[in-house]
Amino acid sequence: MKKFLTAIFAMASASCALAQETTTSPLEISGSVDTYFKYDFAKQPNIGTSFASDHNSVSLGMIDLVLKKKTGKASFVGELSFGPRGQEQSLIDASSGTSSFHIQNLYVNYDFTDQFSMTAGYMGTFIGYEVISPVGNFNYSTSYLFTNGPFQNAGIKATYKFSDKVSLMAGLFNDWNVYTATRGVSSIGGQLMVSPVEGWTAYINVLSGAGGGGYGTIADLTTAYQITDKFKLGLNAANYDINDDAGGYAGAALYPQYAFTDAVALGLRGEYFKYKNVGGVEGDKYTSVTLTANIKSGGLTFIPELRLDHSGTKPFAKENGMAAPNAGQFSLAAVYAF
Amino acid sequence: MRYILAIALSVFVTSLSAQEKQFPKDETGKFIYYKVVDSLVLSKTVLLERAKNFVVSTNKKTMKLESSTDTSILAKGKMIIDKTILVAGHPSGEVSYDFVFEARAGKYRYWLTNFVFIPYQRDRYGNFVPKTTIGSPLEKSADKLNAGSWKDIQTRTYAKVAKFGDSFKKFLATDKKNSEPVKKETVSTKKW
Repeated sequence: MKKFLTAIFAMASASCALAQETTTSPLEISGSVDTYFKYDFAKQPNIGTSFASDHNSVSLGMIDLVLKKKTGKASFVGELSFGPRGQEQSLIDASSGTSSFHIQNLYVNYDFTDQFSMTAGYMGTFIGYEVISPVGNFNYSTSYLFTNGPFQNAGIKATYKFSDKVSLMAGLFNDWNVYTATRGVSSIGGQLMVSPVEGWTAYINVLSGAGGGGYGTIADLTTAYQITDKFKLGLNAANYDINDDAGGYAGAALYPQYAFTDAVALGLRGEYFKYKNVGGVEGDKYTSVTLTANIKSGGLTFIPELRLDHSGTKPFAKENGMAAPNAGQFSLAAVYAF
Repeated sequence: MRYILAIALSVFVTSLSAQEKQFPKDETGKFIYYKVVDSLVLSKTVLLERAKNFVVSTNKKTMKLESSTDTSILAKGKMIIDKTILVAGHPSGEVSYDFVFEARAGKYRYWLTNFVFIPYQRDRYGNFVPKTTIGSPLEKSADKLNAGSWKDIQTRTYAKVAKFGDSFKKFLATDKKNSEPVKKETVSTKKW
């Protein structure tokens, strides 16, 4: 492993020294701010969504600040978030009070050629359909697939673009969601991107190594097809097996979205999710339907959302505290992107 | 303090003057940026070679030559539209366009039309990428909620296209790869 990494860094250093590129892009500054109100029909936090967790409260998401700069073939991205969504709700060590912010992305990239690039640092995960930033999602609450999968991966990766229709990424990563590896550079991952027709892009992802709950392997398909200028269909399917039958999950989510105008769009998320059996104990199964509208005006998006979840094992609570198979919530979020 | 006021005033005036400039429409109702330029010094052949060089060499990453004749060239291209305040900002989208160039003795004309805008959004890695593959014609009217931001995109596109047009004119006037053949001056001793 050490030899491999040393060879990669040596190659990168040599190419940097040879390159005499001086083209400089302006410093890019962008970001977002989000806030929400949620009302759970059982009058208590009930559905296991990563964000929008507070009941009957006008609560904060996060302020997200992104810096990017490219000089010649080299570039960096630094993205910091402040607020519940960007801290304890998406960062493992924030709950211990050691972090007052969250690094979403912090990496450097070098384009060796127009086709081949390498990236090292801490990056948003390449697994899954949904992301931490509310700007990148149509729905405000998040899927079970998102909540249970990796959020970020620190590591080094190489990407080769065969054409606009096909590219391949391979990399070595730390365990999930940590700035510093706790079990060494322990994971290997890859992503094949194919775009069979105009508007349709599919990512086939694999990540194997130290992750949530132990060593395991995730296989993930994330795809979206802009079928017409009004209608878009997305799909995410994933299977995560932790070694020695120690758990994992499997599920799929479908995302049809229809834009009535430039300002108003309606989207549905239908999801099936199941935790793997552990030691003969059957894992919970969930079905979830989320109806979401996006109403845009300039940089501001209002997101009213209705969500209904079901599980036969009654993991939810009724208003009186009794176990229930169903749960529902309404939320209204405001997201401003700049 | 005076410097700050002067800078603020110049930014304000610049933004006001930029807002005034919008694309005119052609006979079919599409936005067009159309220029006729007198060029008495350069021949038609040299103009055409320089225009072709501008497309296939200088702007090879953003333009693609579609066809050419002995008097014209047709190309397609795209440009990134930035949302910039002073030195900082980020891309807000890209505009694709058709580029037509025609040359005659003593003058040439060029125009850009068929503008289609595709908005960008930030991806999971913090990079701005196209949000969709199906763009919107730049001349379309926006609904009330987004009229302001759409007009801003039209204005910024005009400014970028005007800058592109200026660079094209300058290139045609100064490109040294395709120069007029130099006439050798010799002294004749036969005629006098």
